[in-house]
Parts: sequence; structure tokens; C-alpha cells
Amino acid sequence: MKHLFVISVMALNLLITPTAVSEDTKNSDAHSHPDARASESDVGGDNAHHHQSHDAHPMEHSGDAADPKSQPTLTRTDEIDRALAAGGAPIVADVLGVVCDFCAIAMNKIFGDQPEVAAVYVDLDTKALSLVLSPSSSLSDTVIADLAVQAGYRIAAIRRDEAALGVAL
Amino acid sequence: MSRLVGAVVLLLLSLNSNISIARPVSYTGGVTLIEESDRQSTSMLVHFTPAHQWSIGLRGEHNRDQDYALYTLHPTWLAKRWFGANHQGNLYLHGGVGVATGVNRNPLGEDIAAYGGVIADWETRSLFASYRSRYLDAGHFGAQFVHAARAGFAPYIGKTGDLHTWIMLEIDHRPSERISMTATPLIRFFKGPVLLELGYTLSINQPLINFTYRL
Repeated sequence: MKHLFVISVMALNLLITPTAVSEDTKNSDAHSHPDARASESDVGGDNAHHHQSHDAHPMEHSGDAADPKSQPTLTRTDEIDRALAAGGAPIVADVLGVVCDFCAIAMNKIFGDQPEVAAVYVDLDTKALSLVLSPSSSLSDTVIADLAVQAGYRIAAIRRDEAALGVAL
Repeated sequence: MSRLVGAVVLLLLSLNSNISIARPVSYTGGVTLIEESDRQSTSMLVHFTPAHQWSIGLRGEHNRDQDYALYTLHPTWLAKRWFGANHQGNLYLHGGVGVATGVNRNPLGEDIAAYGGVIADWETRSLFASYRSRYLDAGHFGAQFVHAARAGFAPYIGKTGDLHTWIMLEIDHRPSERISMTATPLIRFFKGPVLLELGYTLSINQPLINFTYRL
């Protein structure tokens, strides 16, 4: 049985390595192919550094060709309405991999702990993270992407202000 | 709320657990409590996630069939996460090292114990599949290989914060056991930070009760 376990681990290593290479290649391509935003991957360990630097440019593969009318807008909750009424700036981020309430909890905790964030809500239906900043606060795309990584997820696109509210420019 | 959670956990532990499966790595700074109870053992794991790729926990497991308990330091590494607009997949490596000690007047005393294995899952909002394995060497208490696969679906899709319900079937294979393969239909309830699974292992008439609470 020990041999079976050792063989399993070795086989697993062989399986992981080529997959990681192919996924990284896909991510590199994402910069030039907006459609790639719909499917990304993360690799733990050393490769995480690659993704953190990749996240430093979250809008580079945000899908400029996407129809703005089909993009999720700010989800309105009481907390979000209050923060908007107080003069906070709205932000909507499309998040990859959001499938359950644990995903929502992770982002609520990470973003909710930021002093710049007055209200946060994760909508499982639209897979969108809705944020309203505290008045006169700011949160860069890079920081938002990094916070999403801390929560265990990826940001595909970020919209602000009128675009976040779905107001035609 | 915390008293209620504590009472539920104690109740579940008093019934009868095994290899962690539901979200073994949390968000950075997150703490998760996982109780699992299966046909052979009951376990409790409390883990902390220092970074999004890994967690470290303390785990206790009571093997009811062989009257010994494991107390281990339990790390889990998120080896890979696949992201999609509508899906998420994960591959974890988990392990543990600690002591095995006899309980219920088991004369075997104590020995060093270690285990390791993989957990993989893939899910959308309506479909779920997973696989997990573990090889345990509990010294003179013996060794065991366990692996299990699970598939399930959600009969409806709930919104954020709703009660989510899943219907699942788990096939469990333990080559060293007299009845090596069992099937366990189960239902998963998921609301906010709480996940509860109730199932019944048909061929050996044992309940499956799993509970997860994410702080």
C-alpha cells in the first residue's frame, strides 16, 4: 500500500507540472486575447509570484470588446445605498471563480476590513463584487486585484463611477 | 451565535469523522472549523489560513472501529486553482503529523502517526464533483489507504446568503476494510458561513455528518 501511495504522489507531480505550464501559457496569451478573461488559473507556491505581478495589471485583459450593456452593474443593498448617499464612489469588479457563499464571505471579509471601503457585496448571480468607497478615499485597480488574490480569487475587469452604475457615458 | 455553533459541534462530535473536504484553505487570515463523521471515524479540524495558498490546522480524529485517536498538525497546500466565469476547480495536497493514542482501554499506548493525500474538487453553482485520498501510517495501530469520490447537483440556484441545497452521492473505497466500498447518499445545506452535510452509508448503516463553519 505504501508503494501505491508513493506511485500516486509521483503520478500527481507529473500531472501537475505540465498542466501548470499550459495554464501559464494561457495567461500570457490573455494579454492579447480578451476572451481569455473567462477562464484563468492560479498555481500555488512559486508561481503565485507570477500571478501577483500579472494582477498588477488587472485591466490589461479585461475584455474591451465586451458589450457594456451586458456587464454587471453595482448591486444595490441598503448598505450600498447608504454609502452612495454619503458620497462614496462606486466600483464593480467581475470576479472569476465565484460559485458559493464561502467565496462571497472571503471577499466580504477581505474588502470589508479595508478602511477605504464603506460597503461591499458579492452577487453570486452576476459574479460581481460591488464596492462603495468611503468619501474621499481611493482604491487602485492594483490594490483591488491584490485583495481579491488574498481572498483566493481573480478579478477579470473593474468598472468605476458611471460605468459601475450602468449609466451611459 | 457562537454558543449555538459550539453546541452543534459538540453534538456532532458526540455522534461519531475523516478526511477534510470542504474548503480546506480559506481566505488570508480566515479561520475554519470542520467536523467530519463517517462510517469509521469522527474528526475535528480547526485551520488558519496565513496566505491564500495554504492553511495550517490542529486536528483530532477518533477511529471508532480500532479505538485510537490521532492528534496532528495538519497543513494543506492549494497546489492549483482553476478559475472560470462560472466554475472553480481546486487541487490540494494535505498532510498531518502527530501522535496516535489508544482510547477506550486500548492497551497499545501511543505511537507517531503521519498521513498525506490529495483533495480535488470542481464546481459550478449547480454541479459538483470531488475526489479525495489519504494514506495514514499510525505506527503500531496500523496503516490505511482511503479514497472517495463524490458527485452532486443543486436542485435550485440560490442567491447570495440564501439557503443552498445540494444532493450528492459519495463512493468511498477502503481496500483494507472487510466491506471495502460503500455508497453514501447525502444532502448538503449551505447558508452563509455554515455548511452541514447529512448522509447515510447504506451497506453498513452508519450516518455521515459533516459540519463546517467559516469565521
